[in-house]
Amino acid sequence: MMAIITISRRSYSKGKEVAEKVANRLGYDCISRDVLLDASKGFNIPEVKLIRAIHDAPSILGRFQHIKQVYIAYIRSALTQRVKADNIVYHGLAGHILLKGIPHVLKTRITINLEDRIAEEIKRKPIGKNEARSLLLKDDQERRKWTKSLYGKDPWDSTLYDLVIRIHKFSVDDAVNFICQAVGLKQFKTTDVSQHKMDDLAIACQVKAALVDEFYDVAVTSEYGNVIIYTKTDERPGHKFKQKVKSIENKIEGINNLEVHKGVPYPPEAI
Amino acid sequence: MPIIAFSSDSYQKSGEIAVKTAEALGYKCLDRKILRSVAAKHDIPEENLIKALDETPSFMGMSSKAWKRYLIYIQEVVLGILLDDNVVCHGLAAHLYLLGISHVLKVRLFEGREARAGIIAKQERVSREKAKKIVRRKEKQRKRWSLEAFGRDETDPSFYDMSINISQIDPGEAVSMLVTATGYRKFKPMTYSMECMRERELTGRVRVALLKDFPNAMVQARGSAVVVEIKALKREKSRKISAVKELVGNISGVHHVEVHIIKDIFREAAESGR
Repeated sequence: MMAIITISRRSYSKGKEVAEKVANRLGYDCISRDVLLDASKGFNIPEVKLIRAIHDAPSILGRFQHIKQVYIAYIRSALTQRVKADNIVYHGLAGHILLKGIPHVLKTRITINLEDRIAEEIKRKPIGKNEARSLLLKDDQERRKWTKSLYGKDPWDSTLYDLVIRIHKFSVDDAVNFICQAVGLKQFKTTDVSQHKMDDLAIACQVKAALVDEFYDVAVTSEYGNVIIYTKTDERPGHKFKQKVKSIENKIEGINNLEVHKGVPYPPEAI
Repeated sequence: MPIIAFSSDSYQKSGEIAVKTAEALGYKCLDRKILRSVAAKHDIPEENLIKALDETPSFMGMSSKAWKRYLIYIQEVVLGILLDDNVVCHGLAAHLYLLGISHVLKVRLFEGREARAGIIAKQERVSREKAKKIVRRKEKQRKRWSLEAFGRDETDPSFYDMSINISQIDPGEAVSMLVTATGYRKFKPMTYSMECMRERELTGRVRVALLKDFPNAMVQARGSAVVVEIKALKREKSRKISAVKELVGNISGVHHVEVHIIKDIFREAAESGR
């Protein structure tokens, strides 16, 4: 059995426990923070900055939106590099959005009552019930705003997932059983076509990550290693851009052909 | 044995899964066919009941009063049948009035927006973009309906024990998951959960009995005691209390009736101004 499982969760929602048990049962790798460490190492950015980028909602003025986009491109590149090897359970932030369009990804969400989450937080931190409640609510709002502002999606919208399980009457082990049962379905098995899609996404993410710091407003697609970089301006690309593209072509593995398309609308699947 | 209450945007698709689940478990399947007997019981057209389950009141359509009345009629009959348990229920909004009853497995079945837009585009021969707009509009309507009818957003996954994307997980597998889930101990009826169910059913019958004279009465049953809250003026108090007691006292299963009067401040203000 080969597949990728993303487990979306709120803090203290037992999602981590579910992810670890699923990975253990299926013999998959279980990742979350590892992606941030990879991104931090690969792009030489302190981990704390990456954490802030994927946690805090953008400010009202959107001053740090650009930096956030850069960091997220790094994180997405690190994530796709990790998961393209398959047999992975990812329980970090926004997996279902960052891996959108890959057929063999089972997208799940674990929910739990606020009261149960408060009890869990109190167990782990020396704080009172009211403080725990306000911290959790604030955290939920930050995460919700983050996903909405960057991707225009509400993470609480169940239609983004394949399976949503509420830990209340169902236990963690029940949730593990359901996820393992669902991932056995043929639609979540890795096929040659779906693996190609995954590889293409990983290449496109790598290209975007290599460009995004200096050339923020670009979009990238890849189809069987044929990469297209889209730019909004109609003008001739500058020398710096040309050099960067050339270096990318030589540096990133799996690229068959690389083209730059200027002044055309970005296709919806472009990242 | 438990009750399974389905919620879905597609009556037809949830119906297929509900029937298969009921067959696999040997349960009864309760759906909109029941509306015929509700219509006959209260001498109203069946189409109005279907409309009440799908639409919100509007200026040109159903009045708010009639809409609420129809929903109360439906609840009364559905709750009566659900007392038996071993039932799979869909298309009757039961998930919204069975909240808090532990032996009810509440399941939301949904399709991805893209898949739904694809089906609509094909059926109604419209562009993909237009189909997406229709999907969004329908979602908003449904959300509004559940909020107006029961004060709950039925698209919120936290109301359900499980939400399954049926455009990704095929019906056979969904049925198998649900059959497994019903076997779990936490969904077995217990004395307390059965008592809660009986209280809801009694509340439903009392609301129907009061509907004609006290359409806005708030009813709560605790065992065989019923508490009714109504609005009245000071001078009407004793007359209304005896009227409620007379209407409710004869209902089977009711041993004690308590009537709470809330001051009708608007009517009082209107009368004092005369």
